[in-house]
Amino acid sequence: MLVRAIREEGCAMSGTRLIWFHGKECPHCRKLAPVVDQFEAETGIKLERLEVWHNEENAKLMRSLADTIAPACGGDLGVPAFYNEVTGKAICGRIDMAKLVAWAKG
Amino acid sequence: MKKLWRCHVCNDVHLGNKPPEVCPTCGAKNAFVLSDLGEALDIIGKDHASLDDQAKVQAAWKQFSDQSSTVRLTDKAEEVELLSKGVLENLKGKGQRYCPCRITTGDRGKDLNLICPCNFIRQPTFKEEGECWCGLFVKRDAQ
Repeated sequence: MLVRAIREEGCAMSGTRLIWFHGKECPHCRKLAPVVDQFEAETGIKLERLEVWHNEENAKLMRSLADTIAPACGGDLGVPAFYNEVTGKAICGRIDMAKLVAWAKG
Repeated sequence: MKKLWRCHVCNDVHLGNKPPEVCPTCGAKNAFVLSDLGEALDIIGKDHASLDDQAKVQAAWKQFSDQSSTVRLTDKAEEVELLSKGVLENLKGKGQRYCPCRITTGDRGKDLNLICPCNFIRQPTFKEEGECWCGLFVKRDAQ
């Protein structure tokens, strides 16, 4: 039910991005990759995966969203972090499927 | 602002608001005198091993862990491996051994707080979940 709702909303918000900021050498990001894969497979929604330690443009974008993302990370910018361009909401840190679904849904 | 201090007995150098009462190297009491950068750099010299490979970085983390009664290095060897690779990537690309699970701000003063090990004791993840942000260090009674 929830997944169907997201899929429908996902279609409606094409052209907007659900962004996953991650780090290549971040263990939590690595552990989270299968969860994100599963999320994409189940919902049909693709996340834009932006690596921030080896790509300065991605890091700049993340810094520009610091006012929203940093509080979600406990005060400082960190990865893994997710930013929803539609709702302007961010989640950060230890993320599971339920949190990911709730964030994507808005 | 922190100042540089020099032990007049053994030339130990200390950076801090106040001089140490007891020199940690030679044990002399009230032995520190105000110093400056030129003098301190001369004493320190350039003949020190760099922490520029994974084994050296991991050894430094282990030393830090072994001396602490409250925190220790995680048992997850593959994460230690990945994180030591990450801090060295950051040393190469960003100039310091920054935490691979944080992100630099471009402000040198702020970014100094991201050098691993950072002051993770203040972080909510350490207070609430018993580990630093990246999971490298855990409370001794956790995991």
